[in-house]
Amino acid sequence: MLQDSGFTNVVIGGAVDTFGGAKGQDKARTFDVYGYAFMARRPPESPAR
Amino acid sequence: MAQDLPVDPDTLRERVRGKYREVALDPGASFHFHTGRGLASRLGYEAGEVDALPDRAVESFAGVGNPFSLRRLAPGEKVVDVGSGGGFDSFIAAGQVGPGGQVVGIDMTAEMLDKSRQTATALGLGHVQFRDGLAEAIPVEDTWADVVISNGVINLCADKQAVFAEIFRVLRPGGRLQFADIANGLPVPAGALRDIDLWTG
Repeated sequence: MLQDSGFTNVVIGGAVDTFGGAKGQDKARTFDVYGYAFMARRPPESPAR
Repeated sequence: MAQDLPVDPDTLRERVRGKYREVALDPGASFHFHTGRGLASRLGYEAGEVDALPDRAVESFAGVGNPFSLRRLAPGEKVVDVGSGGGFDSFIAAGQVGPGGQVVGIDMTAEMLDKSRQTATALGLGHVQFRDGLAEAIPVEDTWADVVISNGVINLCADKQAVFAEIFRVLRPGGRLQFADIANGLPVPAGALRDIDLWTG
């Protein structure tokens, strides 16, 4: 989706157990939900939209 | 709706506002997610940066990751924080960019905006401001930002493509999006995607 929006150089960090020990843990485990850091760049030569 | 979205954006926004109004007004209550200093530690924020902030700047933090973990912000950068909540990430950003930078936090929940503005004033942070707005209609001019940050917000927006288009618009060419959010490793059934209760709790 990031690339579809025009972003490049997409980097994804490691998974973090955001919900571990919280009330939402069981639901998160059901769908293997974790937190991630993302970084992406608007291309230097990209025109306005 | 402009496209085939799984839930109605306005209905979802009202649910999200209700949830985060609680987080602003009663941050010590029990939620399905962690909050505050314990959460910041779990997500790997630098202890020194968090410890330097007063409780009211941290207690309503409800992010899901660390948008600064892949790249620290540089002095002088202009930053937009999409879904700034109680202001925690905006205040961390303000420290990293320094007084020569600028930080604009955007949020749609009045109680969060009140809290973050009062904290910014108390901290004397003249280079931080908070504006009322939506992730799908960011109240910032084209190409203003060097960096856009966000934390646990985009997953709560029905039209993610619209959000990314807005972030692209406010970033300068060559600017960076640094955000944290949740992702699922197992498929979510279509019926569950349309269950708005699952989006906020």
